[in-house]
Order: sequence, then C-alpha cells, then structure tokens
Amino acid sequence: MIGTDGTDTGPVLVGVDVGGTFTDAVALVPGRSVTLAKVPTTPDDQSRGVLEAVDAVLERAGLRHRDVARFAHGMTVGTNALLEGRGADTALVVTQGFGDLLELRRQDRAHLYRLSAAHPPPLVPRERVVEAAERCDAAGVRVPLTDAAVADVVRRVRDMGVATVAVCLLHAYRHAAHERRLADALRAALPGVHVSTSHEVLPAVREYERAATTVVDAYLNPLMRRYLGALGARLGDAGLPTLEVMQSSGGLTDAATAAAHASRTVLSGPAGGVVGAARLAGGEAPRAITFDMGGTSCDVALVEDGAPGRTQRSEIAGRPLHLPMLDIVTVSAGGGSIAWADSGGALRVGPESAGAVPGPAAYGRGGARPTVTDANVVLGRLDAGTPLAGGVRLDADAARRAVAGLAQALGITVEACAEGIVRVANHEMARAVRRVSVERGVDPRQATLVAFGGAGPLHGCDVAAIVGARTVWAPAAAGAMAALGLVLAGRRRDRMASVDRLVADGDEVSRTARELAAGLADGMREPVLTFRAACRYEGQRHELVVDWDPAGGDAALAAAFHRAHARQHGDERPGSPVRALSVEASAEEPGPAAPVSPDAGTDRLTGPVAVAGDGSTFWLPEGWTAARRASGDIVATAEAT
Amino acid sequence: MDPVTLQVMANAWRAVAEEMEASLVASAHSPNITERRDCSTAVFDAAGRMVVQAATIPVHLGAMPEAVAAVAARGVRPGDVWIVNDPYAGGTHLPDLTLVSPLYHDGAHVGFAVSRAHHADVGGMAPGSMPAGSRELVQEGLVLPPVRLVRDGVLDDDILAIILANSRTPAERHGDLRAQLACHRVADARAADVIARHGARTAVDALGALLEYGERRTRAAIAALPDGEYQAREELEGDGVGDGPLVIAVSVRIAGETMDVDFAGTSPAGAGNMNCPLAVTRSAVYFVVRAVTDPDIPASAGAFAPVSITAPAGCLVNARPPSAVAAGNVETSSRIVDAVFSAVGGAVDVPAQGQGTMNNLTIGGAGFTYYETMAGGQGASPGDDGPDAVHVAMSNTLNTPVEMLEAAFPLRVEAYRIRRGTGGAGRHRGGDGVERVIRVLADAEASIIAERRLHGPRGARGGEDGAPGENLVNGAPVPGKWRGFLRAGDVITLRSPGGGGWGAA
Repeated sequence: MIGTDGTDTGPVLVGVDVGGTFTDAVALVPGRSVTLAKVPTTPDDQSRGVLEAVDAVLERAGLRHRDVARFAHGMTVGTNALLEGRGADTALVVTQGFGDLLELRRQDRAHLYRLSAAHPPPLVPRERVVEAAERCDAAGVRVPLTDAAVADVVRRVRDMGVATVAVCLLHAYRHAAHERRLADALRAALPGVHVSTSHEVLPAVREYERAATTVVDAYLNPLMRRYLGALGARLGDAGLPTLEVMQSSGGLTDAATAAAHASRTVLSGPAGGVVGAARLAGGEAPRAITFDMGGTSCDVALVEDGAPGRTQRSEIAGRPLHLPMLDIVTVSAGGGSIAWADSGGALRVGPESAGAVPGPAAYGRGGARPTVTDANVVLGRLDAGTPLAGGVRLDADAARRAVAGLAQALGITVEACAEGIVRVANHEMARAVRRVSVERGVDPRQATLVAFGGAGPLHGCDVAAIVGARTVWAPAAAGAMAALGLVLAGRRRDRMASVDRLVADGDEVSRTARELAAGLADGMREPVLTFRAACRYEGQRHELVVDWDPAGGDAALAAAFHRAHARQHGDERPGSPVRALSVEASAEEPGPAAPVSPDAGTDRLTGPVAVAGDGSTFWLPEGWTAARRASGDIVATAEAT
Repeated sequence: MDPVTLQVMANAWRAVAEEMEASLVASAHSPNITERRDCSTAVFDAAGRMVVQAATIPVHLGAMPEAVAAVAARGVRPGDVWIVNDPYAGGTHLPDLTLVSPLYHDGAHVGFAVSRAHHADVGGMAPGSMPAGSRELVQEGLVLPPVRLVRDGVLDDDILAIILANSRTPAERHGDLRAQLACHRVADARAADVIARHGARTAVDALGALLEYGERRTRAAIAALPDGEYQAREELEGDGVGDGPLVIAVSVRIAGETMDVDFAGTSPAGAGNMNCPLAVTRSAVYFVVRAVTDPDIPASAGAFAPVSITAPAGCLVNARPPSAVAAGNVETSSRIVDAVFSAVGGAVDVPAQGQGTMNNLTIGGAGFTYYETMAGGQGASPGDDGPDAVHVAMSNTLNTPVEMLEAAFPLRVEAYRIRRGTGGAGRHRGGDGVERVIRVLADAEASIIAERRLHGPRGARGGEDGAPGENLVNGAPVPGKWRGFLRAGDVITLRSPGGGGWGAA
C-alpha cells in the first residue's frame, strides 16, 4: 500500500476499542509506526463513534481507508446489555423437575448480613422456562426423550413467541443427544429463532453455571448479530476490510463467529488491554503483571512468557459466566473512587465512585466529595495546568477543598490526607495484584508491572513497591492499550470437551485433545496450538487448569498437574491419582510484531517527579529511577534498598 | 494509629486470612469445603483475640476464640499445629475440625492462625456425624481435645492415624486435613510478608489497633439504638429424644454503647442433641448484632467486645458435658437468631422470621457419606419482599450441584424446585421455601434434623406466617428429627419453610 506521502507503508492494521467514555483507535504499520486517536463514545449508536475514531486515526497517520488491511474491534456491547438488561426475550428448556434452576442459583444469599438484599433476577423469567420430559444421569440416559416430549417442548416454546432459546439438560456435558434432538426440532420448527445448547456453549459439569452461561449466549445473540451486522456494513461502505472481533479469550475471531457465539465476547474490552500489555512486555519481561487503572475500577492480570493467565470462571453483573477467558481480577478502585472516614476513624477509599458525572471535584462538574484523582491533584502529581484526555481541565482549588473537608474530619493535614487517600487506594489495588500472583503460586517480586489506563501510570510504582516488584513499564500507548491490543492480537479458536477420566500412563486424554485440535487451525497462518486440561486429584472437587503438550501423552499431563498443584497450593502429592474433567484446545495465529522500544535516546529521570505524557501522567516516587525512551515508553526501576 | 496506617494494616491482615481461605477451598477434597465453603479462617493476636476473619458462614463468627484459648492454655511453641473439635474445649460440634497454629517473628510469639472446616464424617453412630437421636457427645463421633497434629514442624502420623481410623471416609479426611494444614503454611508465609513489609512494630501494634477500631465502630452503632430492655421467647420443636419443652428465653438490654444479652429462663439442656456450647450461642448473637448495626464493621473480638452474653450453666444454649450437641450448631443456633431478632425488634425494625432451620440431611452407606443443608424462605423486611430459596441466618453454604452429587454418590435428584406460595403474605411477601426430592440407589442410612416442621416462621407487623416445612419418606410424612434405613429405590423428600410476611397486606 502507498501512504499519502507516496511511500510504501506495508499493511496497515487498525484497532478500535469502545469504552464507556472514549472510543480509542490505533493504526499500526508493523515495523514502522503506531498512531493513536481518541474520540467520544457515541452511546446511542456505538458504530458511529467507531467510524469517527477510524477517520481520526487515519488522518493523523496520513493514511486512507483503503490502506487498511485488517480491522479489529473491542466492544462492551455484551457487558452493557447484561448490566442494563437489554437482551432478547429468551426461553430456557431444562430437565423435568428442574424448572427453577436459574432462580435457585447455588442457594447462597446475596449479602450475609443485609437480609433483604436480592440477587439480580434471572435473565429468563420463570414463565418462559419449559421442562422437558427426559433424564440422563452421569452414566447415561435414564428417561428417554420421546417424540411426544419433543413436540410438547416445541409447541410451548412457539407459543411464547421468543427470539431465542437456551437448552440446558442435566448431564448434557457428557450425554448431549437429548439437547441435540431438541435443538434440531426447535430450529426446524422455528426458523429465525436462535437456539444455544449447553453442550456446545460450555461442555462442563455443574448445571447452574452451565445453564446461566448458555442463557447469556442466547440472551445476547440477536443484539450482537444486529450490532456486528450494522458495524460490518458501515465498514464495508467506508471501504474498510471485514470486521474482526476481540473475544474474552484474548484472540480475534471473524464477525460471523462472534455473532453466533455471543457469550464469548462479553469481556472483549478488558481482554484487549491485557493482550496489548502482554505483547509489549513479552519481549522484555518473562513475567509481567498488567495493571489497568481507570476511573472506576482496576483490572489486573498475570502474564508469563508473553501469555496471559487463563480461567474458566467469571461473574458478570452478579451472574456466572464460565467460559475460557483471560484471568482478569477487577477491584473497584479508580481515579473516581470516593474517600471517606468511617465511624471507627479509618480513612476508606471506595467502593463508591464519582464516575464520569459528576466525576472528581477537580473536574468542576459539581463533584464535592474527595476522590483519588483529587488527592493526586493536591499532591501535585497531576498538574492542573495540563488538560486530561478529552480536554478536561483540572480545578486545583476544588480538589483541595474536597480533600480538606475529609482531612478536617480525620484531624490530619490536607497533604497527609491526600497522601493517605492515594496510599489506601494503592493497597486496595495491591490486593488484586496479589490475587493474580501470590494466590496463583507466583512471586510478584520478579514481575514487571505494566501500567496503563488513565490512572495506571500514576499509581504503578507505588503499587509495585507494595508487592515488592522492582520494575514498572508505562508504554507510550498507556491511554489506548485496549486498542493497541486489538492490532497486536492474532486470530484464535478455542474448543472444549468434557472427558472425566483418570489420567494414567496411556494416551486417552491426550488423544481427545489432539482430536479437538483437528481442523481448528484451518485457514490460519503459522498457527500455534496449545492445550489445557482441567484436572484435580481424585477425590478433590475443584479443578486446576494446566497447560501441557499432548504429544507427551497422559503421563506428561499428570506431571504438569503435580507441578501446578505444588506451585499453587504448596502441597506436593506425586503418585496421587489425577482425574481430568475437561480439555481445551486452542489455535492462535501469531499477531504482528509489537512495536519495539529500543533502549536508546533515553532521558534519565530520578524520583520524585511527575512526568506528563500523552493522555496520562507517570508518577515516579522517591527511591525510583526511570528511563524515558525515544518511543515515549517509561521504564522505572526501584533503587536497591 | 493514624487513620491511613490503620486502613492499610486492616487490608494487609485481612489478606492473610483471605489467602488462607482461598488456598483451603481450592485444594480440599470434600464438597462440604470446596463446593459448600463450610469453612473459615482467621488471624488472632498473641493474647488470643480474633483480629480478622475470612468467613462465609456466620455460625463461625464467635466460635473460634474458645479454640485458641484452649490451645493457649496447653502452651504455645513454634512449629506446632493443634487440632481440636471437643465442643467443651474450644469446638462447636464434632464435624468442625479446628486447627490452631501460633505465629512467630524472630522468636517472639505474635499471634495465631486458625482454620475451621466442616468435615463430612468424623465417626460416631451415623454416617456424617450429625445423627438425629444422639443422647451424648461420644455418640456423635471422635472427640479431639486440643492435641498437636504437627509437632516441631513434623506431622504426627499417630494422631493422624487415629483420626482417619475413626472416619467412614478416611481418604477424604486425609485430603481435607492436608489442605487445612497447607493453609496454615500459607498463614506463616503471608504473616511473615506483612511483618517484613511494614515492620514488626507496626504490624503487631496494628493487631491491637484494629481491635480498638472494631470496638469504636460497634459502640457507635449500638449507641444509635434506642436504650431499653427487650424480651423474647422461642420454643423448639423437640429434639427427637426427650419430651421436655425446649425454650429459648432471651433478654436484650441496650444501654448506651453496650448490649447485654442474657438467656436466663432458657430450658436446661435436653436429652437429645439440640444443645449448644456457649461458643455457638455467641455466634448467633453476633450474627444479629452485625445485621442490626453496620455489616461494614469487620468481625473481630473488638467489634464484639461491647456485647456481653450470659447463659445459665448447663442450659440449652450453654451446655455441659456429656450433652450431645450435633444439631445445636445448625438448628438451635438458627432459632437463637429468631429469638434475639424478636427481642431486638422491640428497639428497631427487623425482618420477619426466615426459615429458622438448615434442613440437615445426611445419607450414608457403603463407602459414602452425603451431607447437605438446604435453603428456604427469608423473612420479608420493612422495605422488601424476603428473597426466595436462600440460606437465611447462620449458614450460607452453596448447594452441591445435582450433577456433582449424582456423580459422587448413589443418589438421584428427582426434583429441585421452589415451593411457590409458601412465603407468608403481607405488604411485603416472605420468601418461598424449597423442595428437593432424592431417590437413593443403594441401601443407606439417613438422618434428618430440621426445625419449623410444626409451626411456620412468624410474620411481622401483621404479615402472615410462612408455611412450615415437611419431610417425607416414600411420600409418608416423618418427624422433623428422624433417622432410619432406606432401601435402594426409596425416595426422601425435604420441603423447607417459607419466610414470614411483613405488614398487613
């Protein structure tokens, strides 16, 4: 391709991430340039903001629509629809006798001591749950599914006039025939109605979590199809390439696949940030912790050898979502977190947040309660003279007034109070770092903290110091990391199967894994295949997901599990029998090379000093030194103590 | 301690207890711990006062200090891990095995790490060690006074052998104890981290400061309640053995910043197993205190210092050896909550009564023991309906998923549903109870211990009562406390009560 300056640019990759306030775009010309742009999110129709962001970034980079070779998208459509209850009218088909599955949840109450607190209502109301006359147990079919029973289900679902159906029958993770028959009959009788089945969405034991996840898949389907369809059309009209979408798993998929599997992109947004940070850190830091701090929350993930940690369990808006995804721990601490004094005289920060409106007192939009951002302004770490991303000007007097009120209540100086707010918030976020590291058996002291998001670079060094990490890296693209992750990601496909067998010296589990991988990488360039199995010691009930290479057979899996268990729980049991519950195979295309950040042309900095950057400020505390590279990246190191 | 350091240290010490619990839950074997999370962990100061607790189960709230006191009385040395379950020497009921290990820094004793987990079987006259119909403690299982399971850092295989030999499921016990021991190693490492990071002086001083902090907050919260003396009375539905009435009488006196809770007038301990050691009674009172004050106040010895609890020696809620206690922890504790809530309801608005039982079901046979408690209706509150199908008071365990249960035990769940309309009517409706129907696929012995089978939980301010629960075997009603043999193919049905309604409809 030829740039506007007439030179050959090579393929241009564009990523656009839609956040709550801003839509970020990145244009990457591998090996040559990275360009960022930021426009306001357009909540009424997010695709409008997406196109505006594309235009903005291409204009900055001096490129045209037709130069773009790949377009990747990160979105919060699924999460928002779940939070706001805007999904489709969905029916749920379950085994006879279990129609209350979603309402029963796991029978725990929403709050231990607030007795009137209620769980969010199920996405499918009870009157749209249909019981099917059938039953399997762990060993197989107990009550066969008759033609009459199938017809009865179809008739009742048809009468409801729903847009989508979720089917989750007991023990279908292993015995899927009844779900298949019901799905086939429903699809044949009700064209245009989408059907999600639990054995396809999540072939894993535990009926409530599987049903809840399958329901999310069905509930989001029409919305996701409409949104991605409309966006794809807009992109096409603009002469941009086919849409690819970031999945919760940290890899891209084509829009059609994303539309057909709506539950897989619920964590599309945060995954982009983790992938971006992981790819940037990959070359230089064998162990990294991504630290993404924004206005209301802080997302943390562990990255080893460039690969982010993975999990199969998560919860969105009070509902479980059990799917292969990046292992991201979120705490509600951000720039907008409100500081307060409790009745015991302790200084507390959050979980309440001033959000974007009214926002911190310093935003001058009517906020009067002190926030973490206000404390940073009082301490001079945020310069009131430098506008924030989006042009917000900081009002130092308003920040000081807000913090002074709390300082008076606590009987300390304004500066001590501001310092305290930042310190308490940092310790809260350090807990998230410990959860992804210490609780996973990984020592954070050898890790590099990759700090990004609006407030990440401001708090990264202090949080690193709390957990004993000595290196902090704030990439120049800290304000648009999720969008950068989109252009650096590769395509990815995941498949999962239930196995439930003892892991011995044979090859059964490994063979299942290899079979899963057949055809998985079709159409991919230089795909990397990886395999994981959820295993436990015979008799245990919780699985640990471990990576292994099935070429080494099942003995290799057992050895990998023994190691992982010893690492995570400090309890070595070589020789104890291991059971595998499920296996996952993944194929991932390597993404383009991450922009290099040569350790050259660097400024040396010595803390304490605040360094204003493009869209975020880096705070280098006393006892730290840093190099600011030509790329704009800042790499900080704690002095030996 | 300044307001910032105080909060930073609260965070640091709480993380120690939470990381212990995370480790225990993730590596234990039995569904009781891993799925139901019937366990808790805590850090105590060197004087044996609880400073922070990671507890998902309120019944463990006040129940650990006795265990630490009993261990401390035996002498504290580095490298030891003690085990205890004797309800009359630091325990609650026998399945709850508590481990206590002293924490040291530079040779100085700075505190204790404590873990408690409900083990599915510790022997006794019936599988699950929760027998309906037990009459003395020794029938309920192996009694462990405080003994050292680990001495000078070395596991005592002899003690372990005794414990395993007395369980119907020794392999599972072994796995759970390994996990519990590992979480004490986590405590050692994490406490050392906290001390290294903040300095021994600050870290240890913080333990005392956090206790004072909890006490300040509870005092402020109690001061906001109207002073006065409020009485209430609840009658249990028998213990399946004796025939005397089992009455819980309570008087709650709120005066300024303190609350005195006195159980004078409560019946003597019964012949059966509904009796509680005082530790369980404390937990039930603390539960109500947390619910009517500010649940944001972390549980600690300090937070509960302004609350005094007295009960006549040898009464139902302060039992003495050799009284049986298996059901006191689960059932009587629930009804103590009802009684204390009713009394405190004289001072402030409280919710109508919830199900008031945990609907304990144990089924055991050749090589297996299944134990589970079941949700029911929550009472309606002045502003909201009562939630359906939840644990309401002293428990909050997760259910065992049907698919896990059927894979692990010769049992088939035939139905699991909400009992619609069982919550009491009212301006705000009580929550509905639950029905669970289980077919046994092998000969087995079963035990049910449940309250609220005769009278439903009471409504408040004109709200109607919730429906009582029911127990059935092959469709025929059986009493609230029942033990019997089942043949393969028999069906056992538990129906839990609905919660009371609030306000006239």
